[in-house]
Amino acid sequence: MHSSMKTGMIRSIAVALDCSPHSRASLVAAAELASRLRAELIGIFVEDINLLHMARLPFIEEVRRYSAKTGKLDPDQLERLLRLQARQAGEMLQQTAEALTIRHTFRVLRGMVPEELMSAAPEADILVLGRSGRSPSCRKGLGSTARTALNEGKKTVLLMRPGVTAAEGPLLVLYDGSEGSMRALGVALEIAGPESVLHLIVTDPAPDAEELCRQAVGPIVESSGIPTEYHHLPLTDGHQLARYIRMIDSGLLVLGDRLDMPAETLRDLVDDIDYPVLIVRQE
Amino acid sequence: MQVPEKLAPCQLFSQCDPQEFEFQTTADLDGTIEIAGQQRALDAIRLGMGIRHDGFNLFALGPAGTGKQSAVLQFLSSLAPEAPRPDDWCYVYDFEKPRNPKALRLPPGRACALSSDMDHLVETLFSVMPTAFSSEEYQSREKEIQESFQEQQGKAIEVLEREAQEHQIALIRTPGGFAFAPTHKGKVIESDNYMRLKPEERASIEKEIEILRDRLQSIMAQIPKWHRESVEKIKELNREVSGFALKPLMGEIRSKYLVLVDVVRYLDAIENDIIENFDQFLEKAQPDQELFMMQTSQKQMSRGRFFVRYRVNVMIDNSSMNGAPVILEDKPACQNLIGDIEHSAQMGTLVTDFTLIKPGALHRANGGYLVLDARRLLMEPFAWEALKKAIRTRQVRIESLAQLYSLVSTISLEPEPIPLDIKVILLGERMLYYLLSTYDPDFNELFKVAADFEDEMDRNHETHLAYARLIGSMAVREKLRHFDRDAVARVIEQGSRLAGDATKLTTNLQGICDLVHEADYLASGAGRDTVTADDVQAVLDSQLHRASRIQERLQEAMMRGTILIDTDSEKIGQINGLAVYSLGDRNFGRPSRITARARLGKGEVIDIEREVEMGGPIHSKGVMILSGFLGARYAADQPLSLSATLVFEQSYSGVDGDSASSAELYALLSAIAAIPVRQCFAVTGSVNQYGEVQAIGGVNEKIEGFFDLCSERGLNGHHGVLIPASNVTHLMLRSDIVKAVESGLFSIYPVSHVDQGIEILTGVPAGEPVAGGAWPPGTVNAMVFERLKAMAEKQKSFASDHEKDQTKS
Repeated sequence: MHSSMKTGMIRSIAVALDCSPHSRASLVAAAELASRLRAELIGIFVEDINLLHMARLPFIEEVRRYSAKTGKLDPDQLERLLRLQARQAGEMLQQTAEALTIRHTFRVLRGMVPEELMSAAPEADILVLGRSGRSPSCRKGLGSTARTALNEGKKTVLLMRPGVTAAEGPLLVLYDGSEGSMRALGVALEIAGPESVLHLIVTDPAPDAEELCRQAVGPIVESSGIPTEYHHLPLTDGHQLARYIRMIDSGLLVLGDRLDMPAETLRDLVDDIDYPVLIVRQE
Repeated sequence: MQVPEKLAPCQLFSQCDPQEFEFQTTADLDGTIEIAGQQRALDAIRLGMGIRHDGFNLFALGPAGTGKQSAVLQFLSSLAPEAPRPDDWCYVYDFEKPRNPKALRLPPGRACALSSDMDHLVETLFSVMPTAFSSEEYQSREKEIQESFQEQQGKAIEVLEREAQEHQIALIRTPGGFAFAPTHKGKVIESDNYMRLKPEERASIEKEIEILRDRLQSIMAQIPKWHRESVEKIKELNREVSGFALKPLMGEIRSKYLVLVDVVRYLDAIENDIIENFDQFLEKAQPDQELFMMQTSQKQMSRGRFFVRYRVNVMIDNSSMNGAPVILEDKPACQNLIGDIEHSAQMGTLVTDFTLIKPGALHRANGGYLVLDARRLLMEPFAWEALKKAIRTRQVRIESLAQLYSLVSTISLEPEPIPLDIKVILLGERMLYYLLSTYDPDFNELFKVAADFEDEMDRNHETHLAYARLIGSMAVREKLRHFDRDAVARVIEQGSRLAGDATKLTTNLQGICDLVHEADYLASGAGRDTVTADDVQAVLDSQLHRASRIQERLQEAMMRGTILIDTDSEKIGQINGLAVYSLGDRNFGRPSRITARARLGKGEVIDIEREVEMGGPIHSKGVMILSGFLGARYAADQPLSLSATLVFEQSYSGVDGDSASSAELYALLSAIAAIPVRQCFAVTGSVNQYGEVQAIGGVNEKIEGFFDLCSERGLNGHHGVLIPASNVTHLMLRSDIVKAVESGLFSIYPVSHVDQGIEILTGVPAGEPVAGGAWPPGTVNAMVFERLKAMAEKQKSFASDHEKDQTKS
């Protein structure tokens, strides 16, 4: 068995909290995982230093969301608001964790959000964040923090979105025979719930790729007792992959970080996909 | 004047001969009942039920127990099946005016079908709607609309964000909105560093930020409009999807009711409402997600209440009706007549909806007949007025009494009135009919036909047979023993006795029914399969015994001499009168001593009962007639110089009726003429100014009352009763009296004139006037005349002495 497929490899889960709907979904998903894996939950709230700097600029006025009117930003008020948000995030974490009897800690940091998140919990095995946080354009794709975590992070990252559960339902793993895909499969099997179904998408264009895949991972998945479906999908386009995955109606997408496919394909796939994505990295 | 003969035993009781019946027992009869002796009432019922015009409702009047209800129901049971079956009625939700539920008329049996169609529709929609809205097509279209809004919004901001980035300016989300800030290497410039910038650089940045802010403001101002547009698009999509899912279901239901315009209109309204409220069919109860039970139950209740609007409240279902309905409402309270709007308590609040509208008797009887007891109807508050209003306006309008009188202040409904086509039959006593007729101006207009039921009917073979059929049908219906023909004959004789007339039978069938039940009970106790005449007689004896406590106490008082009644000697100015006492439904007679005293006076007969206000007006009238008789007969040519007093001895309560006036006259004549009266007789009968004896009521009870006293003291052959000759046909006396008469121990004399009576009572001839108007000497009349003449002369001499005294003075 591959070294990263050992059970119990996830002992600590960090979750980014900022009171947005995405971050609530992240918290629920992280708590579910922590509960199932008996892992510790670490809540991280980052006070955005950019915001604080901006508030201190003399000429800055904000455009209010629900009236479109402008108004001065008061640094003290902003500090108070951030403290309040941090308290709310802490309480939210506490309530969720206590309901599931999970060990938990809460950390409040100040700085650039992506950087602080990356470095906030070095001991955590997974970092859970919302696909998009509080970015102004409400864009469909990834938010700036998620993108930074995806591009620059070295830790396994779970990108959540509201309205979808992380690991209770079906799981989907992209398999190309690489070490990264094997690692992804290992994590998927570890976090799979009792009701989960595993979809294995074989992306290798070779005709016998599916058979090879069965031979390679068959014993592992069989021993896990999780029902598994194999799909042979020799696609290299991220958008097409996303459409196919939508048709399967699978849940959490688990990807290895070193797949034998173009980085662009992966980015498109992660951008387009409507489901949570777990990117498994080797630390 | 010739003294009448004593009545023969056969005149005392009109026997019913069992041999006149062909049957042995009532089991031989076919079990049908015919309404006998009520032809007048039946003609009225036929007329009332036949005329379908307004106001031809019926009032069946007559004493209780005369079979009004049976007659009416029997008549209607033959009429109603021939009439057409009335339509069904139901109440449905009015989508335009929710406070005014709509009344829908459907052919018989269709209301329930519509109700079940609607229930089924709602049930089906719970699966059809979620399927339609969870389809991939819908989901993707909805997502597309939402994303298009997001995209529109996001793109506008993104363009701005990008432009800002070109100028090293970042768009940052603040807790309350957005702001632009100058950046350096991705980080917002701190205020100290910013202040170190050249003034022109700062001015340029600030200007740029101001421009960007203005543009952001104009984008933000447009966002609500974009949002509204996208919401409208989603609504349109929802309407399209729900309409598409609903149309086939509605089409299926509509096809069943195509000819019913109102129903089709109602279904159209339902369709529109469901399309507007499709989301109600998508929600599923999620109790686990609710933190508070209270919130859950409130939410569920309000959801439950929502779907009530699609239900159909079937008020009247005539699917199993055979012809027109005949409804007998036993408790005609207002809400039982016109229906009611009930309320249910939810979380301490009273709420109602159109499904809580309950039909009344008027709804159930619509298109048919409603039978009500008038007394019960009038006893119920507001019921009479409600009934009249319904008949007058020809519609049933349900009004909550509590609401009308502000007893409750909850939201209530005003259901659409239902057109009324009905015949109302009221059953009641005559008094009620005449009171209503006199004092209620609407009554005669609304109840134009009166069916007057007779208290009694002629006694003949047909009516005898009708009695037999009644007994037979009762035995079958109520599983009693059948009566043999002797027992039937005995019941008929009792019917005659209850009528108080040997030539009539009572129509108070309640009394007869009670007799039949009791006789059956006795026969069962005796282990007989058939009821015999002995059983009937035993019942009558037992009834008599049960009700005779007061009578026996009075008899005892007479026997012990507490109440003075002489039945042996002869006394001047004293006679045994006969009175009838009524206690509940039981009458009995007893003798009363009447005495008269005469003296010189101004020609007045003083009724002591009247003087002390214990005598009724009829009694006073009878006594005044005596003055007229005495004056005209004995003092036509001279002043009546008599002062007489008459009294019912030992009477401690009121006396009324003129049946003792003949007895009073005999006592008066005896007192004037000083001739003793035989106390072995008792007398009854009223008298007119010519001395003719007139009929009275309760003759049987009076004779029996005197007979019982004499019998207990010992009959000696002299005892007897004087009754008016016109009462002979009313005699239905007890068998022991008939036997006593047969053996000569008791006599009954039919008297038509006081001269006959006084001769029997005194043993002195009354005397008939000879030529010149004089009375033969030695007769009662001569003695009375002489005494009055002597009194007049004495009066005259007193008057002249008095005048002389006055002249001298």
